[in-house]
Amino acid sequence: MVDTVAAVAAVLLLTLVTMATRVGGVWMMSYVKITPRIEAFLKYMAVSVLISIVVPTTLAAAPRIWMAVAAAALVAAVTHSALSAMLVGAAVAAVVKNLGM
Amino acid sequence: MAEQTTVTDRAQIPRFTAKGVWRGCVEIAPIAVFIIPFGIAFGVAASAKGIAPEVSILMSIAIYAGASQFALLDLWYAPLPLATLALTVLAVNARHILLGAALAPWLLQIPIKGRLAALIGLSDGSFAYAMSARERGEVDAGILFGSGIAMWLIWIASTAVGALAGSFLGDLTRFGFDAVMVTYFAAVVVGQWKGAKDLYPWLAAAAVAVIGTYVLPPGWHIIAGALAGGIVGTWRHG
Repeated sequence: MVDTVAAVAAVLLLTLVTMATRVGGVWMMSYVKITPRIEAFLKYMAVSVLISIVVPTTLAAAPRIWMAVAAAALVAAVTHSALSAMLVGAAVAAVVKNLGM
Repeated sequence: MAEQTTVTDRAQIPRFTAKGVWRGCVEIAPIAVFIIPFGIAFGVAASAKGIAPEVSILMSIAIYAGASQFALLDLWYAPLPLATLALTVLAVNARHILLGAALAPWLLQIPIKGRLAALIGLSDGSFAYAMSARERGEVDAGILFGSGIAMWLIWIASTAVGALAGSFLGDLTRFGFDAVMVTYFAAVVVGQWKGAKDLYPWLAAAAVAVIGTYVLPPGWHIIAGALAGGIVGTWRHG
């Protein structure tokens, strides 16, 4: 278990990091221009973080999570709704679990 | 930039007012209700990880950035890996820098206090709303602060519902909540696909992340994958 003092300290650190990203764009723009290269890097990095979480987590998980992720990806591709995709994915994971797999 | 403005109509000068704050609060409401399921899902996922409700609620109050809060759940174990946590949250939230940069031509014409207030609750939802309002001729940056506040309150309340419900529900895998984070992220990734040009950066991120889980300290595969995707993407499209 993570103790409460450490947890609160970590949350404050992560708050500072997040705040820096919120004010950072306007602050940077008052000094430099965000070039297309910098923009491309930030965009690809943002989606790559999610890929780097999803792919290894899914591979290491049980087959019911593979099915859930596949269903969610399919729903997202068809509906463009992350919310519906998440709900369908969780439903698949729940149904397969209750079927005892 | 501000000194170049030669607007004849004073009504068009960018500003930050209480009226704008209230207007933002009201106009974002129909959009903001859509974050409720995500807030509940975060609260439940956090309690599935054994995080106390008061800690997950504090996360929503202080950090208030959904994707990064889901991402840090994977790294929440004792002793807390602070450097990995900070870098992961930085990488997930780096897109805020782009949102801020897009808002800069507007916000740099506003005094510093209003500018900071407009940015403090910046999210994807309030950004999308504010940019479309700006295109309709909105000049009051108070709407950014107002919409941020409204979404913030809803995010906190829905996290609390999920966190408290989660500690009563017992084994959450029965409801598929252990799949919430990974399916949500998978859906967001699929939604970002813009065609074949994304293939190599994405493959680079996935491959480096998977290899990283075997050869790097816990959590660092996320940073390595993020950098790999960013570098390949810049190299091919910068």
